[in-house]
Amino acid sequence: MRVEIITPDQELFKGEASYVGVPGVDGSMGFLENHAPLITVLKAGEVKLRTEQGEQSFAVKGGVVEVSRNTVLVLAE
Amino acid sequence: MPSLKEVRSRIVSVNSTKQITAAMKMVSAAKLRRAQDAILRMRPYAEKLQAILGNVSATLDASEGRYAQQREVKRTLVVCITSNRGLAGAFNTQITRVARRLAQEAGHEVHVLCVGKKAMDTFRRTPMNRPELPQDLAGLFDGLSFDKVAPVAQMLMDRFADGTYDRVVLVYNRFKNAATQVVTTEQFLPVLPTAAPADAKATTGEYIMEPDRRTIVEEIIPKSLKIQLYKALLDSFAAEHGARMTAMHKATDNADALLKDLKLSYNKARQAAITGEILEIVGGAEALKG
Repeated sequence: MRVEIITPDQELFKGEASYVGVPGVDGSMGFLENHAPLITVLKAGEVKLRTEQGEQSFAVKGGVVEVSRNTVLVLAE
Repeated sequence: MPSLKEVRSRIVSVNSTKQITAAMKMVSAAKLRRAQDAILRMRPYAEKLQAILGNVSATLDASEGRYAQQREVKRTLVVCITSNRGLAGAFNTQITRVARRLAQEAGHEVHVLCVGKKAMDTFRRTPMNRPELPQDLAGLFDGLSFDKVAPVAQMLMDRFADGTYDRVVLVYNRFKNAATQVVTTEQFLPVLPTAAPADAKATTGEYIMEPDRRTIVEEIIPKSLKIQLYKALLDSFAAEHGARMTAMHKATDNADALLKDLKLSYNKARQAAITGEILEIVGGAEALKG
């Protein structure tokens, strides 16, 4: 699935990933392929990605996540 | 007619001024490009956030929530966004003029939050500038970033929420293109209800909201306010360099025209001096002959 991680100052990540883990306000969440459409709010923590090149993680202070049409959009701060 | 020496020294001084204005133009052009890049980098975030907000709030009335409360306006805060440096044409005076006019027409108390040294210089000694407001926002432009702007936006939201101000307005130069700046007055708080995109309604039902719709809206609205302020600052920053570039371009052109005139009168003076000398020599030779 496509993943985009965007902050107001720059684009942190754009590409394919098989798994995305985010720190949701009510506990962490993971998204796999073909997840149902969802919108949630993040707390401070790490966004983890599993891609073909291995695992990557990005520290965020908070943000919003939208999952739709096999695309995960992370608006981080 | 001015003496040769006078004209020569003026040519030298105009020339060095021209070099300075030409250099400032180049510097502004480079900074303008960087500022434009920053706007472009911020744009996807702003657009996506707006889209999500549209998706979430399509069915929820956006006018509820503590940042959207419409109250009778007893006190307005005008956020005056200017530059730190001058030599940018009418860039700063236009902003302060609009702020003054807002204050006069309002008919109630108006305070000014100064962003940028120039606004501070103008309003420091007026009753519109309040000591309880931050006085040191000029530093915001040194390495402008979202992290620096967010606390200011949060402060504005807090002041609105606790009832200190019933309305917050931004006054800034919107960047249209390198040569054009548009003085813009924009309501910051209370939040104006956003028109949800037409296709949003169809998709809202499908989303799982975690934890719930209201929490998400309350989380997103402050974010979009911060982005709105950040965008205004970035725009003003790019506009500043655009304005300075234009001003310096004109100054360089003027210096060129001035140099042309000076060169002409220098050559005239030189020719007159030579003619005078020849006349003297010929006169002298004639006298010897006689």
